[in-house]
Amino acid sequence: MSDNNAFQIAYDDEAVVIVGSGAGGGTLAYELTARGIPCVVLEAGAYLKPEDYENDEWPAFNQMAWLDKRTTSGSWRVARDFPNLPAWIVKAVGGSTTHWSGATPRFKDYEFKTKTYYGGVQGANLLDWPITLEELAPYYDAAEKAMGSTHRHGRPPLPANNNYKVFANGAESVGYKFYATGPYATNAEPYDGRPASIQDGFNFQGDKNSSKWSTAVREIPRALATGKLDLRTQSQAVQITHDAKGHADGVLYLDKDGNLHRQRAKVVCVAGNSIESPRLLLMSASSLHPNGLANSSGQVGRNYMRHTTGSVYATFDKPVRMYRGETMAGIVADEARLDTARGFAGGYYLETLALGPAFMGAFVEPGGWGADFAALLDAYLNTAGLWIVGEDLPQETNRITLNTADQDQWGLPVPNVHFDDHANDVAMREHAYSRADLMYEAVGAQSTHHTPPYPSTHNLGSCRMSARPEDGVVDAHGQAHDVPGLFVSDGSQMTSGAAANPTLTIVALAIRQAEFIADELAKGAL
Amino acid sequence: MATDSGIDETSVGADDRANLVQLLRTAYPHPRFPDGPYERTADAILEQIGESVWHRTLLTRGLRTLDDAAHGPFRDLDDIAASELLHAIADAEFFVFIRGVAVPLLYGDPEVWAALGYEGESFSKGGYVNRGFDDLDWLPDPRVEEYDGSDEFVEVADQDQLKKA
Ligand SMILES: Cc1cc2nc3c(=O)[nH]c(=O)nc-3n(C[C@H](O)[C@H](O)[C@H](O)COP(=O)(O)OP(=O)(O)OC[C@H]3O[C@@H](n4cnc5c(N)ncnc54)[C@H](O)[C@@H]3O)c2cc1C
Repeated sequence: MSDNNAFQIAYDDEAVVIVGSGAGGGTLAYELTARGIPCVVLEAGAYLKPEDYENDEWPAFNQMAWLDKRTTSGSWRVARDFPNLPAWIVKAVGGSTTHWSGATPRFKDYEFKTKTYYGGVQGANLLDWPITLEELAPYYDAAEKAMGSTHRHGRPPLPANNNYKVFANGAESVGYKFYATGPYATNAEPYDGRPASIQDGFNFQGDKNSSKWSTAVREIPRALATGKLDLRTQSQAVQITHDAKGHADGVLYLDKDGNLHRQRAKVVCVAGNSIESPRLLLMSASSLHPNGLANSSGQVGRNYMRHTTGSVYATFDKPVRMYRGETMAGIVADEARLDTARGFAGGYYLETLALGPAFMGAFVEPGGWGADFAALLDAYLNTAGLWIVGEDLPQETNRITLNTADQDQWGLPVPNVHFDDHANDVAMREHAYSRADLMYEAVGAQSTHHTPPYPSTHNLGSCRMSARPEDGVVDAHGQAHDVPGLFVSDGSQMTSGAAANPTLTIVALAIRQAEFIADELAKGAL
Repeated sequence: MATDSGIDETSVGADDRANLVQLLRTAYPHPRFPDGPYERTADAILEQIGESVWHRTLLTRGLRTLDDAAHGPFRDLDDIAASELLHAIADAEFFVFIRGVAVPLLYGDPEVWAALGYEGESFSKGGYVNRGFDDLDWLPDPRVEEYDGSDEFVEVADQDQLKKA
């Protein structure tokens, strides 16, 4: 059963079964096994190690991105540019934390209360979280320590790389104050048994130096070391089952050869990221749950969020060499606030972003060609880049559904991702483009280029938390309102997306959820 | 694939390949790029299409009819004429297909990287920590710490504060 460790859990042992080993699942596995609770982790991908990672953009992407077929619909530009690649998510032990870059801002107090603060925004399905920043704060502390966020808990900042020098000088010139090289979960000095960054410029490809936090280099190895983790790789969950009383009691999964197995469970935690998690619940429909497991609210798959994003590339008359150094170790936080005088609700961050020519070619102007396009690449050496990441509003119609007309390599219905930008998202993106232009022009940019969103790296909200069962899928601890023993443990729980990159919050929620599950198990309540 | 009429409709000859190289150079015109990357991209595309009848027939037909559109060999057109021709057929399925597969190949070519000033793999060389990750010298060194001056961060603007009940 298990190819990674001596510890094996029998198929008919009632275990805690975790689907996915990324930010949410990997953290949960470590926190539970560290408390002595045996866990099975089902991970669809393989266990790649830092020595397997490649310093080459497309080979690295093809090595572990989730490339199983998906379809898209809606008016978002990704549906036109990348119709079968709505999201950039990793299929490997460690999930997308292998490819992530490392920015770790916290959510703000008002962002947990968007319905209260933003009021009735037409077309938006706003809801306050059933938890507050205050309740999450101690778990944020724990997550920052686990991930080694710079600028926090005594961790020093990373130094300024070339791209940051342009970015920060631009920020200063336009009067921004709240900029820095972090918080960023990559070591500036040795920490937690991992070395300091060597600034090799490869973050999105997996960090061969292991200076960057990921659950593949921290939580999973440590969970294995407890002797309580049965890690089953290349094992894709296809259905969650429940007993006659409706309590979650097992997971059906496919091994790498396509054989079906059933693992009994007393607790099932779904952490497949915000497309696969609702897909799995929808594929688990039963007579008790005819519209999909845990879907009596009808909200499974809905309110999918992907952040309001975009990039800006500026060219100068002198070299920048943006590709050298940590990709996203630069954050401007001045616009991450609520000020509707700007013409939109919610806020956004600006963060440094550097791509190599291979990704620039694909993403800078998708579908582009001709002399203007070539000029963007010709300026590569003298180009600085940044990424916009801001809150997008939940909409009921932005949604993951099963596309039963189309099947993946296993014969399972593919997930369809439907997304339309909300007018608020568009207004925010335009504002951010113009602020980025001002920043770069202030330090001498000859031209700037506005790049549209690429496939979603932040996927959120599709099984959201709510106080009332009719408004969402899970409660304040991520447990399904209508299926005892079933938890959602990834970014799909998020009631709002906030401006911040999501992973710190996913990890904080998972640490909190692990504590809850352990307590409930100890009480015999699960 | 020979057809009933005996004409080979789908095998790509030297002229077709030359048309493809010319098409790539025209669609992605970089005077600094040598021929190698364009030729390698063309060859990789021609290799890929072997797997699909649709792509093979689509592409061969497209490349061959470029000559018809050019009233002579497309591969011999000058830059301006070739570019005008491509703009006229911008939405042609075969050209859209070529663009989709060409971009990752062309811009993933190490000779292209060198021409653009990108250094590629760096881990084996110790990254850039001692090799210029911060060598930009035309701007002052900025602060890397978070702001700790006297201005307070205003999380919620006055007009967006909750009204006291
Ligand atoms: C290029 C890139 C840069 C990023 N940068 C940042 C950043 O700077 N800051 C930030 O906060 N976030 C960043 N992110 C986002 C971050 O990676 C994700 O938010 C985070 O990893 C999501 O955690 P998760 O647990 O929801 O899912 P993931 O980490 O994606 O893990 C999900 C795992 O579940 C597995 N899985 C899915 N379905 C099944 C199934 N049915 N059976 C078994 N296994 C399954 C997948 O294979 C995967 O391993 C970035 C992402 C990318 C791609």
